[in-house]
Amino acid sequence: MNFRIEPAGSAGRIERKPDEARNKPVEKMSKCFALAAAATLLLAPVNAFAQKGPTKADAPGAGQTQELDLDQPADAKPAGQEGTANPAAPAGGICEIDPSACPKGQDLGEAAKRKVKADIYAVEQIYALRYHRFELQPYWNFTLNDQFVSHPGPGLAMNYYLTNVLAVGLNGNFYSGLNVDSDFNFQNRRATRVAVPLNEYSWSGALDFTYVPVYGKFAGFSNFIFSYDIFVQGGVGAISTRPIPVIDPDNRKFDFAPKVAFNVGIGLRVFLTRWLAANIMIADYIFPEKLESLSIAPGPVGQPNNPTSPSNSATWLQDGASVTNNVQAQIGISVFLPFSFNYRLPK
Amino acid sequence: MRRFVKALTSAALGATVAFAACEPKAEAQEIQLTGPLAGAKAVRKLRLYREGRFEIAPTVSFSLLDEYRRTIIGGARLQYNFTDWLAVGVWGGYGFGFSTDLTDQIDTVAQRNARTAINVNHTATGTAPFGDQVGRISWVAFPQVQFIPFRGKLALFQALFVDADAYVFLGGGAAGLQERPDCGAAGQTSCSNPSSFTLGSRVAPAFTGGIGLNFWLADLVSLGIEYRAMPFSWNRGGFDSRGGPPSGNFPDNKVDSSDQTFKFNQMLSISVGVMLGDRKTSP
Repeated sequence: MNFRIEPAGSAGRIERKPDEARNKPVEKMSKCFALAAAATLLLAPVNAFAQKGPTKADAPGAGQTQELDLDQPADAKPAGQEGTANPAAPAGGICEIDPSACPKGQDLGEAAKRKVKADIYAVEQIYALRYHRFELQPYWNFTLNDQFVSHPGPGLAMNYYLTNVLAVGLNGNFYSGLNVDSDFNFQNRRATRVAVPLNEYSWSGALDFTYVPVYGKFAGFSNFIFSYDIFVQGGVGAISTRPIPVIDPDNRKFDFAPKVAFNVGIGLRVFLTRWLAANIMIADYIFPEKLESLSIAPGPVGQPNNPTSPSNSATWLQDGASVTNNVQAQIGISVFLPFSFNYRLPK
Repeated sequence: MRRFVKALTSAALGATVAFAACEPKAEAQEIQLTGPLAGAKAVRKLRLYREGRFEIAPTVSFSLLDEYRRTIIGGARLQYNFTDWLAVGVWGGYGFGFSTDLTDQIDTVAQRNARTAINVNHTATGTAPFGDQVGRISWVAFPQVQFIPFRGKLALFQALFVDADAYVFLGGGAAGLQERPDCGAAGQTSCSNPSSFTLGSRVAPAFTGGIGLNFWLADLVSLGIEYRAMPFSWNRGGFDSRGGPPSGNFPDNKVDSSDQTFKFNQMLSISVGVMLGDRKTSP
């Protein structure tokens, strides 16, 4: 692999096509930079250099180009100077740490003859690091599995990434006043004379753990690239619900009560910038629900302390609890704080 | 410290003077790379999994938000990929399913009497399964166009790397339904007659559309998951619920097209695609 560079005496100038007059202003700016640098150096005190300056032996003649062979060790001399090179000399880096692993000219020559797989899997730096960053995730949710009462509403998740793939956080949903009793319930009741017990939600909150097992990138229209990841989430918390009185709405009135709720979910996050992402998530909140009793107590109305009265709240609920799954799609954005981050290693 | 501040001040002063002496004029410059990367494409040797290949993808689709019956459609997607981003094909399949809990509850709880005779299945002497009167999807056939704008890869557990693409599709076709037939009008069977609950067949034209993800497990095989919607109106419960005065929102003792209500039928599909033909590679 050969890259051709200009000699050191040309101050690292990028090779330019001779007919490109449009580059002249840039050359002028380069002179300005050189002037500024010279003025700065003249005015500033002289400091010590940690590295030796170039020697005469290292500088090729002016006007010549040098062929840098990257297949040769770093300490190899250009062609014609092989006699002065010492292949066994340490070249720094891995050579100092483990001399036996130090690449030798012969090894690289053999390696260059090997057949290589033409398909390249380029794993570059992850576009957006999550490590030690906060994620604010406002979203709107849509019910996916309750055809009787939908529970849309806003939500907010806050996560802190302990590692690049593991986070701990909180999330909350607000449903109060937004539950929608489907027309289907009325149609079904009227047609079959069968009432289905319904419930509505007020709020939920949970402590969550998030894990990011999958990340990748997509090229869009072969024009732009965006990164994404897929995350899974699980947690425990509470959800506040109550039955909607359907069977005996004249006598029953329920209050919201919290129940323990577990949640699991899987989501897709598409990074728009290094700190902003769009996301969609499917989450299932699992909790023991109390349902309205399908039967009405036969006693007299208006006697709350009478155990057989329809007015006694102890007769309003079914015995036991029914395990309920509230599956919802959550569509929102993620904002990562701080907005910027530093990679541990250079690209 | 004082020496450092003095040096810094001197440097800043010198730089300011030097820049002020020059005419600032910014202009973009194309970096002229030399060496083997000069003029190279951004992506070389891209695996073209789709271009010029025919795809057979057996699919299993599961309905969402069902009221009376869950539907599972076993079928296949057949399509030809003209390019890596455009394909034309057809998705079709045969539907089967099972009752929801609501259907079972109605079957158990609903009384068969004069008040429910028009809407709940019964025999001359007693009950009949409510599940036999609910609508079902028998088959589907939807020609469709698929666009694949996004192409990329993913890493699973930072160990397994898979090529993937994301697509959208649009199409139009028909769904074959089994549905309670019209009854109650002049010359038709009375809707309280038990024989009126026997399902009839109907074809419902519809549009379809959705999004999907495809993971390329090998040059020939892919695993896909997609969301599909195919909205149309149908009478899923087999009820007489509309058509009566004053606004048409009350029962009219007839079952007809006015009792078909719109539903945004949604499905999740899993597919295994098999590509026919050799995979190409971009220059």
